[in-house]
Amino acid sequence: MTTEELEQLLAQQPVALLHRLARGRVHRQFRAGKRRLIELLLQHSSQNRAGLESDLQTLIGERQPRSESEPSRTHRPSPLPTKKTSLRGTDSEPLESAISLSAWLEGIGVPAPQPFIPDPWQTEALSAVSETDVVISVPTGSGKTYVAVEAARRAMEDNRTVIYTSPLKALSNTKYTEFSKTFGPDKVGILTGDRQENGQAPLLIMTTEILRNLLYDAASGEIDIRLDTLGLVILDESQYIADPERGVVWEETIIFCPSQAKLLLLSASIGNPQDIADWLTSIRSTACRLVRHSKRTVPLRAGYLHPNGKLTPLFRTLGIPHGHPHQLHPEAKRLFLEYEDETLPSGRQRR
Amino acid sequence: MPPSIHPVDLIAALRQQHLTPAIVFLTSRRACDEAMEAFNHADLVLPPVRQEAIGTALERVIEQYPSITEHPLIPIVQRIGVAAHHAGHLPSWKIAIEELMRQGHLDAVFATTTLAAGVDFPARTVVITQSSIRKSRDFTDLTIGEVQQVAGRAGRRGKDHVGFAVVTPSPYIDLAVLTKGLTGQPEAIDSQFTISYPMVLNLLKAHPHEQIQGILAKSFAQFQLNQRAELLEHKLDALHVQMEPFGPRVCTDWITQWQTFDHARRHRHTRHQTHRSESPEISARLPFLSPGRVVGLSRGRGIVLRQYRSKGQKNSMLTILRPDGAVTECPVTSVKEVYDRTCDFEETPTYPWCSTDTFDRLSHQLEELPQRLPVLPILTSTSHEPLPDAIVQSMGDFPCPTCPSRPACQKDFVTASRLRQEQQRHTKSIQALRASLWHRFQERVNVLQKFGYLTLATQLTIEGEWARLIRIDHSLLITELIRAEAFTGGDPSLLAGILASLAHDDDRPGAFPRISAGLSSLLGQVRKLAESLSPYEDPPLLRADVAALVERWVADPTLTWIGLCRLTTMAEGDIYRLLARTLEFLSQVQALKSTHPGLAGSASQAITLIRRGVLEELP
Repeated sequence: MTTEELEQLLAQQPVALLHRLARGRVHRQFRAGKRRLIELLLQHSSQNRAGLESDLQTLIGERQPRSESEPSRTHRPSPLPTKKTSLRGTDSEPLESAISLSAWLEGIGVPAPQPFIPDPWQTEALSAVSETDVVISVPTGSGKTYVAVEAARRAMEDNRTVIYTSPLKALSNTKYTEFSKTFGPDKVGILTGDRQENGQAPLLIMTTEILRNLLYDAASGEIDIRLDTLGLVILDESQYIADPERGVVWEETIIFCPSQAKLLLLSASIGNPQDIADWLTSIRSTACRLVRHSKRTVPLRAGYLHPNGKLTPLFRTLGIPHGHPHQLHPEAKRLFLEYEDETLPSGRQRR
Repeated sequence: MPPSIHPVDLIAALRQQHLTPAIVFLTSRRACDEAMEAFNHADLVLPPVRQEAIGTALERVIEQYPSITEHPLIPIVQRIGVAAHHAGHLPSWKIAIEELMRQGHLDAVFATTTLAAGVDFPARTVVITQSSIRKSRDFTDLTIGEVQQVAGRAGRRGKDHVGFAVVTPSPYIDLAVLTKGLTGQPEAIDSQFTISYPMVLNLLKAHPHEQIQGILAKSFAQFQLNQRAELLEHKLDALHVQMEPFGPRVCTDWITQWQTFDHARRHRHTRHQTHRSESPEISARLPFLSPGRVVGLSRGRGIVLRQYRSKGQKNSMLTILRPDGAVTECPVTSVKEVYDRTCDFEETPTYPWCSTDTFDRLSHQLEELPQRLPVLPILTSTSHEPLPDAIVQSMGDFPCPTCPSRPACQKDFVTASRLRQEQQRHTKSIQALRASLWHRFQERVNVLQKFGYLTLATQLTIEGEWARLIRIDHSLLITELIRAEAFTGGDPSLLAGILASLAHDDDRPGAFPRISAGLSSLLGQVRKLAESLSPYEDPPLLRADVAALVERWVADPTLTWIGLCRLTTMAEGDIYRLLARTLEFLSQVQALKSTHPGLAGSASQAITLIRRGVLEELP
């Protein structure tokens, strides 16, 4: 086989086959586009031509039975690998395993109103928080607020004071409005750096810094009467404990939190919620309960929107393929490679 | 191909697939603003019904927050149903947009990633255009947690069957970061416990010194340090097992014995035989002229490649690497200076006496050397190296040469000593891990004692009693300023200006009003004090320009918000945040009512003066 024949043969093959062929031959072959891949393979063939050819034949042989079953996907024999034909546009990857756009878009819309039924983890967390400290680590938007509201309601029914802290003043204000609607304005108060309203209410919303200061004042003897009746401390967004500047405040708050008050830590998904729970168990009087799950209430799908307005799914599967970042949708992959090719300044090597 | 999708096309595409409402995360505030500008002439107009709905919803918010009545973005918001939402906006505008979004009136919000962490408003779709985020001047890749936080905004409970995270490329996007972020497990979080001065004061106020260690041990930081210590302890246990076969032999601590013996034995061979002909100055240099040493010659510098003796020469000889890769031989007497600088060196037995790698690296390093190099101080003494001599002389007294286990020791020494070194290293790290927090606390205590906030018995002094109420950043600087009576005279605008320059931590450049002479001289004092405190506390940015803005606002009650914004190029939202942070600092100073009534008085005056206009209307 001459070099030209080989080049021609390679150009006729789908890019997936070329990638398989290039495995072990070309460094970081998965980054290269088809044209570049062929170039690299030809370069390589100068060292071991026979090996490359035989591998190529085997791969083509493996491929044949599959493509025969799909008559629609026969390869156009191109006379010469001219610029046009070797573009990735002619690649036909096995699309059968990947989800189609219409299937991906299916189910869009508003669900019929349903009576609210708490998720099992919410019930579990609620029953646990009456007895012990609870750490909740669930994805964003799973309904942590529901647990906070219900736990606060129950504590208030027992004539206990509840403190709810959030890291940002803006969030505190939003929660103040929200909780005032839920519990009635006389039941809710707010303390932030520059705002103090209804400070004697049974449910107090504050920034974590303010609570830390309250706890310090209480510890040094300037007793705040409300701390005796404090039944529940809710720390929202407690993943802030890893904030380089402010994380220490969360630790101080948790360390100095009176032991009769239960702690409820609400956090987005983090990698080591068990550590937080173990830590609480080691410093508090009761064993801390960890409630975690990683399933989103509203399922998530990922898509890819090309600058020319073409939308495709990002992954082969309908949902997010957890743990398999490389299961890209062939179409999305092709478009992104094309995008990279065209936006990179010419002459610059792709990383 | 455009480098990224045009905002108008983006919204059109999303609408077409019913993927609205959407949050579009962009890299910068500027990108958000430019996206909004792009809609100026767009014909993606909403049907009149929806326009009216937005109008009425907006009116309701404006009733509460009149400051946004004439917000320049309102026409686009109403016409197209898209809005921008970033930290440069006033909180009231952000609240309005959040409200509109919650009610489902908007099709898209252009936001920066700060939104993902800040507020809670979901949408059907999030559009991700970037894979990195600006964190204190540098762009860093989004972590898995951050990608999931961003993607987590997609899909409203009860309003959507599914949420969509749509990636659209822009220059410098790295798809791998995003796919990893979407499919991966979020990172573990680590404690960021720091011990601040107010923390020390407050702890010592409430607890006796001896209890503090127990309290610090309750921190998550210590919990994690203990976890690491436990890991090391496991390793240590494993090491003990490995070391068992190397237990005591004829002597109990044979490893040390052998080490000393081995050292002395080897040392005797390499000892330089000093000749009578060499002056003591020259011979004192010889041990330092080892391979890799940088030396000064009569012309230029060089790196010693080897030292040897030659029959025809009176003195010891050196092979020296000169600049440009030349290798020369010269007697040691021609060395003018011996510098306190050695390079890593891999010896070989043949020319050029070092490995090729080393040679290349050395010639490179020789070019790169700084102009001035410290000269190695070499003491000339007639009887140098007393200790090795003593050891060498007593070689005969060592038990090792005659010891029956000598062959075994010699064979095992390499492994045994490596294990022992590892063991010692682990023991040290475990100690450090267990005690580091306590040490850091002690360091802080020492500083506070030095400045007189704590007595030697770690009781709070009168100064400490009030200083513990200042629980903000740069607390040491602020309390020292108060003690130095820098604020006497009590002009509230000066106080506010100084605190603003401390409270502000942003480094966005911009144009600002001139500052008054009073504030300028006071800032000079503050800067001097901050510099003198720099060993104990990181100095603040102390931006005079920013301070001027707050000073104006406090000093001139007739100044309107619009007027204030015109004085500077700073974004409205940043000015608001600056004032809000200053308020926070002022309220801490205000807490010193009982000890510093004058100061607290001007602080509360400043607070009332700051709280007007937009700042009053907002919670």
